[in-house]
Amino acid sequence: MQCLRAPLSDLSVLERQRPRVEWQQQGEEQSDYQPYDADYCMQSLLPVETAFRALHSCGGGVENENHGNVHGSNDCFSNAWPDIASGMHCPVVGAAASVEETSVNASSSSSSSRKRKSENTRRSKENSGSDGKDDINCKRLKEETGGGATPEAEQPTSKENDKAPKSDYIHVRARRGQATDSHSLAERVRRERISQRMKYLQDLVPGCSKITGKAGMLDEIINYVQSLQRQVEFLSMKLAAVNPIMDINIDSFFGGREINPTCKPGSISMIGMSSELLDQAYLQLGSLQHDMFMDSPALLLRPDVNPPAAVSDTSLGSCLNVSGSSVWNTNLQNVYGVEFQLGRGTALPFQSLQGNLLPNNPKMEM
Amino acid sequence: MQVAEAFKHAFLKQMLLGFQASVVSPKSMGFQERKSAIKLSADVAMAVARGTRKWTRGLIAGLSKEHQNRSFLQLILGEQYERLMKPCHSSWKIPRCKKIVRRSLRVCCRRKKKKNQVGVLARTLVAKRTQELKILVPGGESMDGFSLLDETLDYVVSLRAQADLMQSLLTTIEASKLRSHSKGTLPERKASYVGN
Repeated sequence: MQCLRAPLSDLSVLERQRPRVEWQQQGEEQSDYQPYDADYCMQSLLPVETAFRALHSCGGGVENENHGNVHGSNDCFSNAWPDIASGMHCPVVGAAASVEETSVNASSSSSSSRKRKSENTRRSKENSGSDGKDDINCKRLKEETGGGATPEAEQPTSKENDKAPKSDYIHVRARRGQATDSHSLAERVRRERISQRMKYLQDLVPGCSKITGKAGMLDEIINYVQSLQRQVEFLSMKLAAVNPIMDINIDSFFGGREINPTCKPGSISMIGMSSELLDQAYLQLGSLQHDMFMDSPALLLRPDVNPPAAVSDTSLGSCLNVSGSSVWNTNLQNVYGVEFQLGRGTALPFQSLQGNLLPNNPKMEM
Repeated sequence: MQVAEAFKHAFLKQMLLGFQASVVSPKSMGFQERKSAIKLSADVAMAVARGTRKWTRGLIAGLSKEHQNRSFLQLILGEQYERLMKPCHSSWKIPRCKKIVRRSLRVCCRRKKKKNQVGVLARTLVAKRTQELKILVPGGESMDGFSLLDETLDYVVSLRAQADLMQSLLTTIEASKLRSHSKGTLPERKASYVGN
């Protein structure tokens, strides 16, 4: 069982390389998935999971079906490894690393028959990317090692994860002993996707690790969402109570310093949006602006003179440092650097705004 | 799961812009008005910072149903507002082909005859909870099971970030308030010592 040890490191390599592959393939589609790059990476593991689980269940028993996805990917990988010859390792790693697909595509079209089904284009692109090769290699090794009858009987009725970036199809392998009509297969795909989402939600909602049923999980999720909404309301009430302090200088500080949030390269829309907002903010500040910029250094230097205007530069900076941001440390070089790297057309209005404000900033940084 | 830094920046900036746009001050507004203005700013900020998702559009659509909010939203969002408002209906039914629905019902009936009745109870519970979740998540009525979970995941992460950021803003303001008060009262204390 030496092969059990080695694959875990390979798995980490696989996991590490997969995001890179996804990135190379899918460009701007990342923009909607900013908050979770991890989630986006995790999604692509699902089809590999199904492939390996299918392989395992073909090898012995159908019990896996009932366990669902709750066990997590490591289990099915470690279960699947003993079934596969060690020659599997190299193709898996190679598959994750490389991007060229044409050679395998040609071989896959010749090796087996397929049943097709239309689905989300995005999902099929994810699936098609890296695991087509895994599947095909699995299948070939299975043919070599297993008996003659069963794999061949499966072939006409099974599907494959195929890389077909042009088509909108998702390819699923039917398990041994399962019904193979399109309804049940579609349901199985749907159920697996839902259970994967439930797994993420389980990680997210605190105290959900013990609960395994769908209804109980949903109950916890509902309670959590309600408690979060109540918390937001409570916090807004507290902010309203404390608000009299927060009168003047915040917006001038904001308008002066927070020009370009460090956006990830995919998010053109956010840069464009924040430029509009800044324009609006400047229009609104209007005549106040001169007063603000003149007053703020004076206020900063003598905070005790004007106690109500207490939201000082450093405190707001520390607030945002609590959030873990580094742009707020007013390393303007970095900000400009980020902008130039992004190199978008919409960055130009920012540059002009920054040019106007630059003389004021050294004053404010005191 | 953590949100990206860009989200936090955008949220804070947007919220403070919102405060300024709604002119939150003790002179013009009572306590309740201020609270609802702050909440409105926070929600809009969260939706704007997250970008385009089903729940963000549902949220903004829900907020703009109140007539008084509309001007505020238009101010904040600018041209985005028109774009966001267009095709988002909360009563949007998922279009389903009747033939396929009938066929799947027939298959389900056939399978139900074999299965036992325990599954039915579980299914009704799940359905009830799903309905509740649809009410909670903004824009949830027009989503099917999978996208509902997807949007819930996203919404929970954003809500958590919103609560955290508001909390940190609150503590910052309170801390600076304390600091200014202590600085302000220091000369008074000295005077009182001298007097005594």
